Amino acid sequence: MGAAPASRDVTSYGMGLAAPLALFFLLFFVAPLLQLLWLSLHNDTAGLHWGLGQYLHFLTDPFSLGVLGSTLLLGAEVTAVCLVLGFPIAWLYQRVGPKLQTIIILIVLLPLLTSVVVRTFAWIVILGRQGIINATLQSLGIIDTPLKLLYTQFGVVIALAQVQMPLMTLPLITALGRIDPNLDDASCSLGAGSWRTFFRIVLPLSLPGVIAGCTLTYAAAITAFITQSLIGGGQMLFMPMYLYQQASTLQNWPFASAISIIFLLAVLAVVSVFTTLGRMSRGYGGA
Amino acid sequence: MIMNRRSLLTTALTLGAMKAFPGLSYAQARPLVFATFTGSWEEAHKAVLVPAFRKANADAAMVLDPMLSVDQIAKVNAAKANPPIDVMLHDPGPALVAIGQDLVEPYPVEKSAYYKDLIAEAQEPMGPAPFFQVVGLTYNPEAVKTPPTSWADLWKPEFKGRVGITNLNSTLGTGWLVEIAKMRGGSEANVDPGFKALEELKPNLAAVAANPGALATLFQQGQIDISPGNFNAIQILKARGVPVEFVAPKEGAIAFKTTIHIVKNSPNRELAFKLIEAALTPEVQTTLMNPPYLIVPTNSKVTMGGEIARVLAKDTAELKKKFVFQDWKKINEQRSAWIERFNREIKI
Repeated sequence: MGAAPASRDVTSYGMGLAAPLALFFLLFFVAPLLQLLWLSLHNDTAGLHWGLGQYLHFLTDPFSLGVLGSTLLLGAEVTAVCLVLGFPIAWLYQRVGPKLQTIIILIVLLPLLTSVVVRTFAWIVILGRQGIINATLQSLGIIDTPLKLLYTQFGVVIALAQVQMPLMTLPLITALGRIDPNLDDASCSLGAGSWRTFFRIVLPLSLPGVIAGCTLTYAAAITAFITQSLIGGGQMLFMPMYLYQQASTLQNWPFASAISIIFLLAVLAVVSVFTTLGRMSRGYGGA
Repeated sequence: MIMNRRSLLTTALTLGAMKAFPGLSYAQARPLVFATFTGSWEEAHKAVLVPAFRKANADAAMVLDPMLSVDQIAKVNAAKANPPIDVMLHDPGPALVAIGQDLVEPYPVEKSAYYKDLIAEAQEPMGPAPFFQVVGLTYNPEAVKTPPTSWADLWKPEFKGRVGITNLNSTLGTGWLVEIAKMRGGSEANVDPGFKALEELKPNLAAVAANPGALATLFQQGQIDISPGNFNAIQILKARGVPVEFVAPKEGAIAFKTTIHIVKNSPNRELAFKLIEAALTPEVQTTLMNPPYLIVPTNSKVTMGGEIARVLAKDTAELKKKFVFQDWKKINEQRSAWIERFNREIKI
């Protein structure tokens, strides 16, 4: 190819640079996704008869809808726990010296440095009948018989919250770091108390980070197959396990495909709600 | 040689493709591929079966490609004309699926030197069973002082909140439910009594594990004291120092045939046959019966010994008496309905 024209605008860039990644996505993401969609539109496992039977089956079945609902609810619970626990950490991070900052960031990142499987097994040890929590409560005489923590919704939420916490804290730290600290002082000097300052200044300005953190945490929590099945057990059914059961054990690929598509759409819907909120918050934050 | 960008890119792409799809360059002459199971099975086969096969076949090239039964079926299904696997290993349920989907060849019984020595239950013309998996009662001897003797013991009030089971995704879970149904007058075609029994078991249930492997963790953590369990899995736990014991219940231990099959259209048909022959020899089966593998043999020429003789059976005659084989053809017909029902009804 010849030299670039002399008049070329140096601030523009060719889309060609994105082509390799685009091609990769087309081949290994879009194509399989289309195949999934194609398969889900068949009524029989061999994929010969077209029809919407799989979708009808899912959408008219209270049990399946229940699984979808409980999965989306699980995501909401985990996201809420992460937000409530993660926000103070991020807030603290912006207000301590550099030494403490390093320690905080290390603690926040630590979970990311071990595999999800290891972290989840650690939670089994913590939540088990003879686990740390039960042993402590028993030795303090607070309870007589061990509490059932493992294989409960509570256990799944707690474990997932810890596992996904960095996804919430990191965007929050970034968002809070962008807020001009002078605004706090200005608010105080104009007579607002700390809580009023927090709700009227800090929270609105940090909303983009909150939204980003919630989106990431939510998406990660509802699709966390390993943690859900190890802590939740075999009778607590969430969408990923339902999907696995249909695809792998029962070899019912069309229904499994339909479940994936429905799950995908449900997640997209939730994420788009978050993004819309994000867009609105940007207007709010700028006002 | 002058390299311009275009030729560099082409070369890079070609090299990359050859690396990513090695089948491109030597599609016809690939080594024998045996898809065994992951974990202890892979270890046992790598240490015993592969060397025995290579010794008997002039060091023929072969690779182990461990994966779950269902994945083996999916992979072969995706390339029926030129399958990437030559020999498959299956639990009874998936074996019937593979046969039903026309993925395996009949075993050349008349050519086989060892087929006729297998005990009758292991003689499957579509692929013989070189091993059995055995499911019985597993318990923690520190918490359970009188060893259980029957499946019915799981319902005893003293085990309130101490029993673990698995859901029906696994062969173990499904096979166990069928056995419970049989105990209460049901059969492979009618597991209603089994579901009723499960309902009554609820006060005792501490956990419904997502897979048999998770049961092991639950024993280790003291979450459960008693459960149906796989003989081999228990031996592995025991070897790690976890207090667990296995007993065959008086109703009979459930035996699953692990069958081995030649894949249809395999380019290595002859070697595949030789590998299966090696798996059927008394020598290989004897080695695999001894510690640390403790895999139950199917060749009647193998003399039972060690832990297997102590806990399961002293010889093939006793083995036949103490083992229960199930009709997986019948089970497969309704399994998806049962899984659905289990999903809905078993909430603790």
